[in-house]
Amino acid sequence: MDVSKYAALFLTESREHLSVCNQLLLEWEREPSATRQVGGLFRAIHTIKGMGATMGYTGVADLAHRLENLLDALRQRTVPPGPAVFQLLFRSVDALSASVEGAVVGAEPPSDLKLAEDLATAAAGIEAAARGGTSAVRARRNGGMAAEAGRVRPVQVALRRDALMRGARAALVVQRAESLGIVSALRPPLARFDSHDFDGRFSFRLASGASDEQVLDTLKGAGDVDAVRFEEDGVAATVGHSRQIRVDLGRLDALMKQVGELVVAKNRLGVIASAASDPALSEVSDRIARLVSGMQGEVIAARMTPVGEVLERFPRLVRDLARDLDKRIRFDVEGDEIELDRSILDEIGQPLLHLIRNAADHGIETPMQRAAAGKPEEGRILLSASRERNYVALRLSDDGRGVDREAILAKARREGVVEPGAAALSDDLLLRVLARPGFSTAEAVSGVSGRGVGVDVVVTRVRALGGTIEVRSELGRGTTFTIRVPLTLAIVRALLASAAGERYAVPLAYVAETVEFDPRSVTVLRDREALLVRDQVIPTVHLRELVRNQPRPAPPRAPTVILEIGDRRAALVVDALMGQQDIVVEPFDAPRGLPPFVGGATILADGSPALILDAAALV
Amino acid sequence: MANSKTLHAVIFRIGALICAAPAGIVREILPRLPATRIPGVAEAIEGLVNVRGTLLTVLDGHVLLQQARRAEDEGAIVLVEVGGRRYGLGVGQVLDFLEVPEQSVAERADLPGVDPRLVRAVGLRDDQHFILLDINRLFEPIIGA
Repeated sequence: MDVSKYAALFLTESREHLSVCNQLLLEWEREPSATRQVGGLFRAIHTIKGMGATMGYTGVADLAHRLENLLDALRQRTVPPGPAVFQLLFRSVDALSASVEGAVVGAEPPSDLKLAEDLATAAAGIEAAARGGTSAVRARRNGGMAAEAGRVRPVQVALRRDALMRGARAALVVQRAESLGIVSALRPPLARFDSHDFDGRFSFRLASGASDEQVLDTLKGAGDVDAVRFEEDGVAATVGHSRQIRVDLGRLDALMKQVGELVVAKNRLGVIASAASDPALSEVSDRIARLVSGMQGEVIAARMTPVGEVLERFPRLVRDLARDLDKRIRFDVEGDEIELDRSILDEIGQPLLHLIRNAADHGIETPMQRAAAGKPEEGRILLSASRERNYVALRLSDDGRGVDREAILAKARREGVVEPGAAALSDDLLLRVLARPGFSTAEAVSGVSGRGVGVDVVVTRVRALGGTIEVRSELGRGTTFTIRVPLTLAIVRALLASAAGERYAVPLAYVAETVEFDPRSVTVLRDREALLVRDQVIPTVHLRELVRNQPRPAPPRAPTVILEIGDRRAALVVDALMGQQDIVVEPFDAPRGLPPFVGGATILADGSPALILDAAALV
Repeated sequence: MANSKTLHAVIFRIGALICAAPAGIVREILPRLPATRIPGVAEAIEGLVNVRGTLLTVLDGHVLLQQARRAEDEGAIVLVEVGGRRYGLGVGQVLDFLEVPEQSVAERADLPGVDPRLVRAVGLRDDQHFILLDINRLFEPIIGA
């Protein structure tokens, strides 16, 4: 059987299992007396071993097997898991991860003999120390199950339709059932599992003292089990039936692109229909508009993924960083169920990684420094996700030393980043200084960060996603970065505005309201023109001045768009508003010197390109 | 038959200059399209055009080579690929697609009124000189890294 076409699926599944392993290890390390994690670890590694063997990745299967031996020994609880064992387990999971990634591209790393030896020694040590005990436990377990096997129940199993290696998977399910008791009346028989017409559904009778939940858990642990039914007297009890399939992300991307083009075509049709004043054309145009909107919503929903998928790798990372830096850091994640478009999620991981490394390296102090400052020795980093209107806010805060504004200001003055006379560094200015390419305040370049790359990369990436970033920092108390990204990248609802004969799109996610420019409400805020809107003083930006350097016309009643990001606002004065439109953010090769207020480009309903204004650069 | 010693080039006019771009980097010849200006960038950037649903940044060859636009030129866009990115070069008129033996173009860099750094070679076509442009050099100050 040619299994190479299943490599991508093997990779996805293995990554999921390895991610689970890391989570479980972190939990277990925090609470070594807990018993829940070792079972989960064993199941995950066992699944990888099975898949790896079927795919012919012997390195993966071999390493997983060795790891499994150690886990099995640990599962018997004959030796308490200690720091050395945890370190070995983390090391093995990393090695397995490298092996998995290498195997699918045909470059399995050579066996790590030292690791294999360490695993063998650890497992053998444990076995040698408790040889008698272990076999006694085994005998008791199997014997116990058999003795209690008073209840015989029929079991029907359906594997997921997209499960690969159905035969092997089914055999694994049966093997797991056998660990609970006695399996009989297997249909189809084991020999048929490998045949082409085996559809992944099979049944057997199980004599076991285990509860239905235990059986379900054990069987599902084999992976790819869609449903398990315990059928008695024709009454079906279906447990955990899932109606999900895996879809290649490339397909979703292609679908989204097509829908994006459909949206542009729909907009164009709308313009033609309203110009033609033909009722039949208008009707069909309206109908298409409704259908496209519905379809757009469905595709966006299908692409939504919980942010947890990206955040879940960070706890392990922080643990390793803390070890390397001799620091104690508690890392928590909140709101990991918040959903974001898959393509944004893929892009946001790297910027977050930079910020987390910075927080661990520069933010959190050593236990001694913290104690001296009257803080708990264990530093805290919190990464939280929350939904705010049409965007998602990701906040990374630490309770570390905070930014020394005086030091940064001095350096910024020396490098000419700020006016020599600048007396203080506001949060906005601080971010601008930190985001200068190559700007680093680290006295020594550490292995973790401080090479002067980081914040500038973060700001560039976040802005490329149509997002915004803010920083708040207090000396001695810590730093918080807030990244806001739109829920979806591809299609954005925008307000069209014109100035000096040019049209610009303003993403509606950042529009609080539109008002009329009233010259009587003009005031001054920190030497800048501002508008008084319902007792709030909002700085103005004249679009004409911004894009053409033309003098402000300041006509009375000019439409004014109030932009809002977090608690920052700006009043954008334009020549005219031209309604709303769904726009598709189109990539283009930006020339040098593109001003920060240009956030991207799009194609309007009449086919002409228009630039998208970046609200973050205006507020 | 073409061989490695044959130069393939697209010949076009920008103002009074007859120029050429190596055919290897030319992807398409487009008619002149209405461009959306990009504020704040170099004058040589004409703007963004919509090429069948894809946005293309167009550079104005007349500004780049300091040539006056001719009233009789219809205008055209030569779509080139530079460093993996696609850009349009706005020209006065596309004249020809040429195959010439490589020895018939001479490395010469001292043409009046043209920055010698932008000239890769000079060739002859219908008794007229043409400049084989160094497109990378021409675009580099504008499009960035």
